[in-house]
Amino acid sequence: MWPIRAVRGTALAAITCLNVSAALLALTGCTPRVERIPGGEVERSQQEPALSGNGRLLATVTERRGRPTVQLRDLRSGAVLPLRHLSRHQPHSSPSLSWNGRYLAVITQRGQRRLALIEDRLTGRAHPIRLPGDREPVRLSLSPDARTMALQVAVQGRWRVELIDLGAILEPDRSAGERFSGPLQPTP
Amino acid sequence: MKTTSSLGGSLLLILTLSGCGGDSIRPLHSLNSRLADSAETRRDPSLGQGWLASLSSRGGRERLELIDLRNGQPVPVPGLNRADAQPISLSVSGDGERLALVRQLGDSTELMLYRRSVGILQRLELNPAGVPRAVSLDGRGRQLAVQVSRNGRWEVDLIQLP
Repeated sequence: MWPIRAVRGTALAAITCLNVSAALLALTGCTPRVERIPGGEVERSQQEPALSGNGRLLATVTERRGRPTVQLRDLRSGAVLPLRHLSRHQPHSSPSLSWNGRYLAVITQRGQRRLALIEDRLTGRAHPIRLPGDREPVRLSLSPDARTMALQVAVQGRWRVELIDLGAILEPDRSAGERFSGPLQPTP
Repeated sequence: MKTTSSLGGSLLLILTLSGCGGDSIRPLHSLNSRLADSAETRRDPSLGQGWLASLSSRGGRERLELIDLRNGQPVPVPGLNRADAQPISLSVSGDGERLALVRQLGDSTELMLYRRSVGILQRLELNPAGVPRAVSLDGRGRQLAVQVSRNGRWEVDLIQLP
């Protein structure tokens, strides 16, 4: 177990390693630390965290004028980053980021329907994702390279996860040095 | 100006009729069929690079399952699931090596980290105390963000992992 010991009065805390086997210590090195993410000038409730693949950006859902709204923060500077298409169509839920944070996917509300939307922060474009049969997503996850999205939908009263290929509409957002990987093609 | 308006109106009509407003996407039918056939229900997806973690239910029991998307098959995760624990939230690292999990075990809600190569599940204790709810790992599995309830409000903690 890794108990986390907070340092009162600062945003930082340290994790001390107790009750961990010697073998586990050898495996982990045991130097983790914890940081509490501030809510901005007005302390806001923050929910549904999503890290970018490189760990530099954090998306959360916060209350803005009483409406759950996605917020994107640069973890190095602490700055809240602008989002061109995500200041409306609340409530937002289930944010997900690609590796470098170029793409932010989130579930939005259009009228009475939920709709997955991907904002391309490089081009400023928005990509609404409509599923066949007008199924409505309740949760989503973007692959790190943004080639694939997984969506949780209800089909005949049961939760299902469906995968879609985004290769036709999004450029990949890969980590530096990552080898090219083709589209997913399961073997028979 | 009139021509422009006319063209704009026609374009709007065509877009409306064609259901535009959604980008063209391609469902991965083969994988989706396997996912549907292999569980009664499946929820809370988390994608790595070629990996899908989700909560799948069979026989009324829900468990965390990690699927290799190259072949659509689940991979073994010994020691990750407990019959007496209810998984709540999960996240997988980009390479599928690490899984973060929030689970309910009796009266306790726990934040856990699983390392697949060594088959070890560790508890990450929160201090100041709080109740974890939703978790996210970064691509390398070295940083974790977790939504925590403290004193009646939701906060997000960042945890650097070795």
